[in-house]
Order: sequence, then structure tokens, then C-alpha cells
Amino acid sequence: MSNLKTNPIVRILRSPSRTALAWVGMIVLISLVREFTGVNDITSAGAMEATIRFTIPILMAALGGLWAERSGIINIGLEGFMIFGTWFGAWFGFLFGPWIGLLSALLAGGIIALLHAFLTVRIGIDQAVSGLAINLLAAGSARYLAGVFFTGRPNGSIQVSPPINSISQFTVHGLSPFLSHIAEKHILIISDVAGILAGIVTGVNWVSLMLFLLLPFSAWILWHTKYGLRMRFCGENPVAAESLGINVYRTRFIAVCVSGAIAALGGAYLAIVSTGNYLEGQTNGRGYIGLAAVIFGNWQPSGILAGSFLFGLTDALRVRQSTSVHALLILVVVLTAAYGLTKIKKKDWKGLITNFVISGLVLAYFLINSRVPDEFVTFFPYLTTLIVLAFLSQRLRPPAMAGAPYHKGEESGV
Amino acid sequence: MRTVTKVAVTHCRGRIEEGEMTKSKLRQAGAFVAAAGLILTAVAVGSNSATAAPKKLIGIAFDLGGKDNPGFNQLAYIGYQQFANSHPGWDEKDLQGANSDTDATRAQRLQLLVSAGCNPIVVVGFSYHAALQTVAAKNPNVKFALVDDSIDNAPNVEGLEFKAEQGSYVVGAIAALTSKTHSVGFIGGVNVPLIQAFEAGFKAGVAKINPNTKYQSTYASNPPDFSGFNAPDKGKEAALGMFQNGADVVYSAAGSTGLGAHQAAAQAGAGHWSIGVDADEALYPVNQKVANFILTSALKNVNVGVKSFLKDATGGTFTPGVHMFGIDNGGVGYSLTGSHISAGVRVKVNALIKQISSGEIVVPTDPTKINLPTK
Repeated sequence: MSNLKTNPIVRILRSPSRTALAWVGMIVLISLVREFTGVNDITSAGAMEATIRFTIPILMAALGGLWAERSGIINIGLEGFMIFGTWFGAWFGFLFGPWIGLLSALLAGGIIALLHAFLTVRIGIDQAVSGLAINLLAAGSARYLAGVFFTGRPNGSIQVSPPINSISQFTVHGLSPFLSHIAEKHILIISDVAGILAGIVTGVNWVSLMLFLLLPFSAWILWHTKYGLRMRFCGENPVAAESLGINVYRTRFIAVCVSGAIAALGGAYLAIVSTGNYLEGQTNGRGYIGLAAVIFGNWQPSGILAGSFLFGLTDALRVRQSTSVHALLILVVVLTAAYGLTKIKKKDWKGLITNFVISGLVLAYFLINSRVPDEFVTFFPYLTTLIVLAFLSQRLRPPAMAGAPYHKGEESGV
Repeated sequence: MRTVTKVAVTHCRGRIEEGEMTKSKLRQAGAFVAAAGLILTAVAVGSNSATAAPKKLIGIAFDLGGKDNPGFNQLAYIGYQQFANSHPGWDEKDLQGANSDTDATRAQRLQLLVSAGCNPIVVVGFSYHAALQTVAAKNPNVKFALVDDSIDNAPNVEGLEFKAEQGSYVVGAIAALTSKTHSVGFIGGVNVPLIQAFEAGFKAGVAKINPNTKYQSTYASNPPDFSGFNAPDKGKEAALGMFQNGADVVYSAAGSTGLGAHQAAAQAGAGHWSIGVDADEALYPVNQKVANFILTSALKNVNVGVKSFLKDATGGTFTPGVHMFGIDNGGVGYSLTGSHISAGVRVKVNALIKQISSGEIVVPTDPTKINLPTK
């Protein structure tokens, strides 16, 4: 435990003011990297907008995972709920407009999640097996339903839905051009902050905004309401919760349904906002990425936001300009070297050398090559998640009873 | 089906035995639901379209998307239609690929067409390579054509290959001649040699016109992830990024990912152009709203190849091996829909086409060998 207290990262994250300071430091660093490498796309408004659009679906999957796992049910079926979300969002979006599409996806996700809840909560089937069944069921039914409903419609086929009307966007007038103007001057730090802010206020999609707000809303419910406390209690110790009069079954049922509904919203976002129609296989593993983001984020709302953002950012930078990612290597160089320096205080010479060697190797790579292989960039967020798992697994705090079946009246579900 | 019966039987037995009832019954019911779900999945994945056959049959095995999906599948179908219009007495039976395809399921699909009496059979897409190799060897009397690939030493297979790099070269020249910012971009679907050839042609075409053109390129995904052919969201973000970084013409060789690039051009506004691939994308119904931003499309006339094969196979002029379709025999080209290309540009481009046809210009297939500034 002493290690946990002295670790500088943990210490920084413990205090809000230091967290804020860390963010500021990060922005300054990124700004310096941009100035040094001349890759201006890193903090451009466009890159930020793209990041937001890539982050939202992953964030929805992760949020779905958070709800289910906090109540004690692992939801491997997030991918499946997203697939259902794309289909329902697209079909009802095509018939009645995008908002109804979103609403239908929400309802459909919640209702189909009843199946997962029934299998895992009431029957006690292995949660991973039930989740996998949901994923298979979703892929198959979406194809079947698309064949029945989409073929024969204008531009529709078994793999593509007819186009859905797009949802209006808004730009904060006055602020957006002003910020973009500053961003284009490429002044150290000021332009970077302006660029990031401009990306947030330009071309804001109402759906993106609403879905994003689900994060603080969920955090509020889970950590600041009576219901949230009970739900987390069910995830930590269902036997004790039951003994205190909490209906564990009902609580978990509700949590799993919310989980399915939110994940389906993420799927509907892909169909309605990202592409404007349903495409077979368009979720492309985002449900699983969401699960990874939950672990990365240590089952905390701010953590899963950071995790989803990391996945969204690498996707956005890679797809827009692969040179951006190459420039970010400098960031890795500086951060590992700085982390190495913190080891001096503890006289941890081995740690110091290890970090400096890593830093030097990355620097050498940066100088020798002009771009990072695309394969590595795609893989990078997964690698980060693995590193988090490997090095911080002692400090990760998953809900104690997530994954263990619970039967009313039994001593322990394990 | 046996599993289902078994589950049902145990379910009934559970009913007869009294005792610790509820839980086990629920479990069985759950298992039943799960099994039923899996069967539904299996049925749904296996679904495909087939037509009844009164006449002589031509078989077509489509890749992902099927004949309703604009692109090379549809072009192959159009090739069949063009043939059937001039040769009455032929009908077709077609099957289409699924996302979950393996070489085994592809081989089954081809064998199904053979069993249905189809001869000749058109096989669309290089993903069928391994499957066709086995099926063609097993059925020496059936004549096959493989679109986009060829099979060595197969006496009953014509490989229909297209010099896609030539079409890309032409649109590259058009892009460089049209760009006012002297900055263009390329979006590839998946980073495989087939698509790299498209990039090489495009890049060479751009370099031929103006070697100082700023050049950006990206691929939507890397193998073994083939989702890059089906990711309009990534296509859109990639193209928006290129437009924001100064490009005003973007060429996508990326299947339906390119639809996103067209939308990005429309979003970026007048003066921004997107270039389509394979078929004339400005004519796709799905691109109706953005057609005015599609400068041209690099055409790969799969229909020309398919028609030529069907004539060969039914007329006794069948010759196994590779059949190349290039700019000289109408296999590749560019589209003029929308008349966005000025007469002056067309003159220059047609001169280049003549040079390619005569062999004066040899279009490269490796993009890394061509140097263009990135900044």
C-alpha cells in the first residue's frame, strides 16, 4: 500500500487541483510538440471535431458497460446491443426521422437487454456466455431483419439501409469564428487551446451533445443518489445488500436494461450521425473497445471518458493525418523521461535507467523514421490498455462481485 | 436440430420430476432460448437470393454487397445483362457473399451453383481465389471466370484482371489539373497491394502534371481488418481532414468508404471535389445529394470483362489464363457525368490516355517510389 501512496501518478490523480494542473501541463506539452514538429493538425478544430465523433459511440458502449458492471453483471453483449441499435435506429429513423430512430434504439436496446438480464440475473447463466449469445443473435437478426425490411427500399439492400435524414447541427455564433481565427495563427499554447475549444463549439451535433451529457448524468445517478448507492452495493456485495432489504434482482435488471439501452444509443449514433444509414458490420468491435475503456478507466466515469477519448483521438489523428501520430512520439519521449526523473527522489536507479532507455529508444525511432506504421497506430490504444492492466492491475478496483452469479438466499454466488 | 429436441425432452422431464423445480426449469428454458437464437442466427447468415431456372443458366457468385449494391458486383451483373440482351436463351442464378464468409463457405456457394446446373459461372472478387481453386479442379467441365484475380494452371478458369492503376493515373492527372490549391489527397480502403496500385497510379498521374503538388494519403484500415471498405464515417473524417489541411481534390479507392468522402466534399462546400472509383459514382442513387461534388470517377468496367468472358465461354473461344483489361480495350477509364471537367483538361487527359495505350507511359504500381511533397 505504501507504493500506492508514493506513486506520483496516483498522488496527482488524488487531488482535483493537481489533476487540473496535470491537464494544463499536458496541453502545454502538446502545444510545444506542435510548435516543434510543425504538425498543426494535432490541436486543430477539425481534429477535435473528428475526435468527438469517434469518441461518442465508444463512450456509449463504455457507459453501458459501467452501468452493468457496477451492478455486478458483466455485459460482453455490448457489441450486440450496438448492432441492434444500428438496425432499430436506421429503420425507425428512415420511417419517422432521426429522433424517433434514436428513441426506438433506446427502447429496443432496453427491451432486448431484458433477455440478458433474465439469463444472467434470474437463471444465473455464465455472464460471458450469455453476452456472447447476444452478440451472435444481434449479428444474425440484424442481417435477417435487414433482408426483410431494407431490400427493395430505395438504396436499401440486405447490408445497407435507406438513408436517414440528418440531424441539424449548431455552431456557437461569434465564438466559433473568433476561436478558429486565433487557432490559425499558430501561437504557442493560446492557439492550441483555441483550436480545441473551436472544435468543441463548431458544428455541434445535438445528438453528440445529449449523448455526452449521459456521462455526467450517469455519474450523478451512480454516485449521488440513493438508487446509485444501492446499485453499486449490489455489485460489491449482493448478499449484504439483500440482507439490508435491497431487491438485488430488480436492481440488476434495471441496471442491465439501462446498459443495453445506452449501448444501443451508441449504435444508433453510428447509423444516424456517423454514416447516415445502417451498414452491416458498422459497429466493427466498438462494443469490445467500450469494455476495454471501462477497464482502462478503472470503472470510474472520468476514467472511461479518458479511455474512450484515447481510442477516439488515435482513430481521428490516424485517419486524418498519420504524421500527427508521429509527432506525438515526442510527447512519449518527454513523458517517459519526466517519469524517470521522479525516480531520482526515491533513489530508484533501475527505474530511472529503464525510463530513460525507453525514452531514448522512442526518440531514436522518431528521428530515424518519418512516420509511424499504421498498424501500430491502430493498435496503440489496445497496447495502452494492456499496459494499464499489466502495471496498474494492483490498483484497479473493479466491482467486487461483477461476473459472479447471485441467487437469492444463497450465501455466496461463487 | 438434434440439440433442440434434446433440450425440449429434458425440459419436459424436468417438468415431471418434482423437487427443486423452479431454478432448473428456468435454466433449461434459458438454454432453449439461447439455442433457438443460435439457430435463427445460422438461418439468417445463410440466407441468399436465388431465381427459378427455365433456361440455360449462367451462375454468378457475388462478393459482399450483391447485385443491388452499386460497385463491381453490380457492374458484373450489368455485364451479364448486356450479354443476355444479345444472346436470348440464357438466364442467371446468383448467390452473394456474407460478412462471416470463410473459404469453406465460399467453396460451398460455388459448388451450389455448379450443382444447380450453371455453366459458365462468373465469380466476383479476389476473396474467392482459394475457394475457386478447389471447386474449379473438382468440376473440369464447368467454365469459370474470376474477377480481379487469376488462378495459375487452371484449364477452366479465365482470370479477368483490370489495370486499375491506369484509370487512377488518369484521374490523378485530372485532379492535379483541377486543383486550385495544388494540393490533393488519396483515401485507400485497406492497405493491401491491390489498393496501393490505385494510389500509385493516382500519385503518378498527379506527379506527371505537377511534381510540386502537395500530397496527402491515408488508408481507412489495415489488414487483417477489412472494414476500411465499408466505413463511410472514416472516409468522411479523412476527407474533411484533407480539405482542412488545404487539399481541394480527394480521390477514394475505398468501396463505400468513399461515400463519406463525397459527403465531406459537399460539407466543405463549393470548390472541393471528390473522385469516385470503379463505377460512375455520380450516378449512384445514394449519392444523389452530393453528385455535384463528384468531379469524376476512375472507372473499372467489370461489365466489359464479364461480357467478354460470357461470349468466350458460350461461343467456343474460351482461353484459360489471365485476360488483361486496360485503358486500350475499354477495361478502365474515367467518367464525364456532370461535365465538371473542362474541355482543356479533357484534351490533355486524352493525350495521356493515348500515351498509356501506346505503352509510352508505363503506370507504376508501387506508391512509395513516387515522391511528392507532403507539406
